[in-house]
Amino acid sequence: MNDLAIEATGLTKLFGDFKAVDNLDLQVPKGTVVSLLGPNGAGKTTTVRMLATLLRPDSGRAKVNGYDVVREAGAVRRTTSLTGQFAALDPNLTCRENLTLIARLRGMDRATASARADTLLERFDATEFASRLIKQVSGGERRRVDLAASLIEQPELLVLDEPTTGLDPRSRQVVWTTVRELVAEGITLLLTTQYLEEADALADRIVLIDHGREIAAGTPAELKAQVGEQRIDVIAADTPAFEQLSKALADQGFETTLMPELRRISVAAPNEVLDLTRVSQAVAATGIAIDEIALRRPTLDDAFIALTGHAAESTDNQADDQAKELVA
Amino acid sequence: MITYARETTLLTWRGLRAITRVPERLLDVTIQPVVFILLFLYVFGAAIQVHGISYKDFLFPGIIAQSLAFGIMGTGTATANDMREGVVDRFRSMPVGRLSIISGQVMGQLCEQLLGLVITVVLGLILGWRPSFDLGHGLELFGLVALSMLAFTWMGVYVGMVVRSSDAVQGVGFIVIFPLTFMAGTFVPIAKMDLIPRTIGDWDPISAFVATLRKLTENYPSSGSWPLDHPELAMLIWSLVLLGLFVPLALRRFNKGLAS
Ligand SMILES: Nc1ncnc2c1ncn2[C@@H]1O[C@H](COP(=O)(O)OP(=O)(O)OP(=O)(O)O)[C@@H](O)[C@H]1O
Ligand SMILES: [Mg+2]
Repeated sequence: MNDLAIEATGLTKLFGDFKAVDNLDLQVPKGTVVSLLGPNGAGKTTTVRMLATLLRPDSGRAKVNGYDVVREAGAVRRTTSLTGQFAALDPNLTCRENLTLIARLRGMDRATASARADTLLERFDATEFASRLIKQVSGGERRRVDLAASLIEQPELLVLDEPTTGLDPRSRQVVWTTVRELVAEGITLLLTTQYLEEADALADRIVLIDHGREIAAGTPAELKAQVGEQRIDVIAADTPAFEQLSKALADQGFETTLMPELRRISVAAPNEVLDLTRVSQAVAATGIAIDEIALRRPTLDDAFIALTGHAAESTDNQADDQAKELVA
Repeated sequence: MITYARETTLLTWRGLRAITRVPERLLDVTIQPVVFILLFLYVFGAAIQVHGISYKDFLFPGIIAQSLAFGIMGTGTATANDMREGVVDRFRSMPVGRLSIISGQVMGQLCEQLLGLVITVVLGLILGWRPSFDLGHGLELFGLVALSMLAFTWMGVYVGMVVRSSDAVQGVGFIVIFPLTFMAGTFVPIAKMDLIPRTIGDWDPISAFVATLRKLTENYPSSGSWPLDHPELAMLIWSLVLLGLFVPLALRRFNKGLAS
């Protein structure tokens, strides 16, 4: 018995000459949560669409629930549900109509479909706006209905493409809670995200990708370990201070990572409090103004910087999403 | 087969629902014929003499054929928009037949065009158009119009899937379909046109359509080329050719995945 829900080897997708996904290997054991983590344009959506049989890989192979995504696409579709990055609902139908339509397309009769829709609407706290047209509900509400639509029939594998992008903290909590419940029910989950803390919170394993390639993989703890021990963050008061201070600390032999946008200098602290004292003294000696100095545990942000040489670019999300919609 | 019928019905229902939710969409199908009727009946009409028939009776079959041909653009635009809605991706990622998805699209669009047709005909009747035909010709008319509408719709759905935006559909439609409908003898007899448009008009598929409608509703013959002398047969052949071309093209395109 094969116990992998996803087994992809050498997966590659080209758009013209551009390699959106480049020789990607991916393994997701049944019953686990794996997160594809990467910045905008990393190739997350493209990967997920290949696995959901919406795009045909240019080379490489992938098996989902034991079925080949190209040759046995029908079986893959029967056992997998995808919630795409952008809501996959009919804007001119109500929330309930969308759910019943999908249920009916999955072969349920009218009564069963309607009952199933009601159950899910309740589960996702969507009863209140169930009879509103999809185009008349908010982004977060639509997202919840979209998620419900993927659970009309409990799939073996659920694929969520950036399920919380654009959600407010409360809606994000709803999604996280649901994800945890589903996992408890034994569902296998592939989840893409550009939020490091989301992968950290939900996934058993993280695959970090950038430019269509795997950069690192492991449990959240392993990835953090690759980055090293604790760190000290020094936030300079302004940009000139940041520049002077980073130079001063580097001159004194401290190993630093710089984030100029945040005016943050991050110093490795293998000796923890001892290092904090040394850095504090060094900073004080320069007399340069700072806003903050603190010792902290490494986050996946550090992992990203350490492994890719640049920060995760998740700042200008919304504009990017809109641009995507236009070209799609 | 039963699954196919079931899925197609469900997906057609989805398309029809959109008409009730966005009735403005019907405006797209009806505004064009209305403008052309008013323009040609009351602005140009008085100055156009057609031998052996009142201009009103000459005009209406032409307008109907033209609006059905414009339906290609309408269908194309709607499809281009529709296919970009994520919901089609949802259907494609579900165990639903590809043929069902696209048939649902075709049927939904066909119904929309049909509604437009009914409105145009009713408007014609109100304005004094009095077509006359017996039962046999009526059935023939119905069959041919239904078949050609189906062909046009498949063509429109294909165009809608190929182009990247609905603006592009409009652009192509304006350059290709718009002149073709004018050269098809819709508003003035083809025989009086200059050599080049006349030659195009003689073989234009829309001409066969116009000539058929004129023959079956007004018993008014067209002539000048083989298709115009045998318009019903030509219309049948054209429809089958278009279907034979665009059904497989559309299916192949859809299977390949859109916009990739
Ligand atoms: N249909 C397409 N045609 C051409 N290029 C494309 C197409 N789809 C995606 N790309 C490109 O492929 C790359 C990967 O895109 P993809 O959508 O997979 O990224 P992503 O990781 O999902 O990013 P995001 O976080 O912004 O959603 C991007 O550079 C994108 O511009
Ligand atoms: Mg994406």
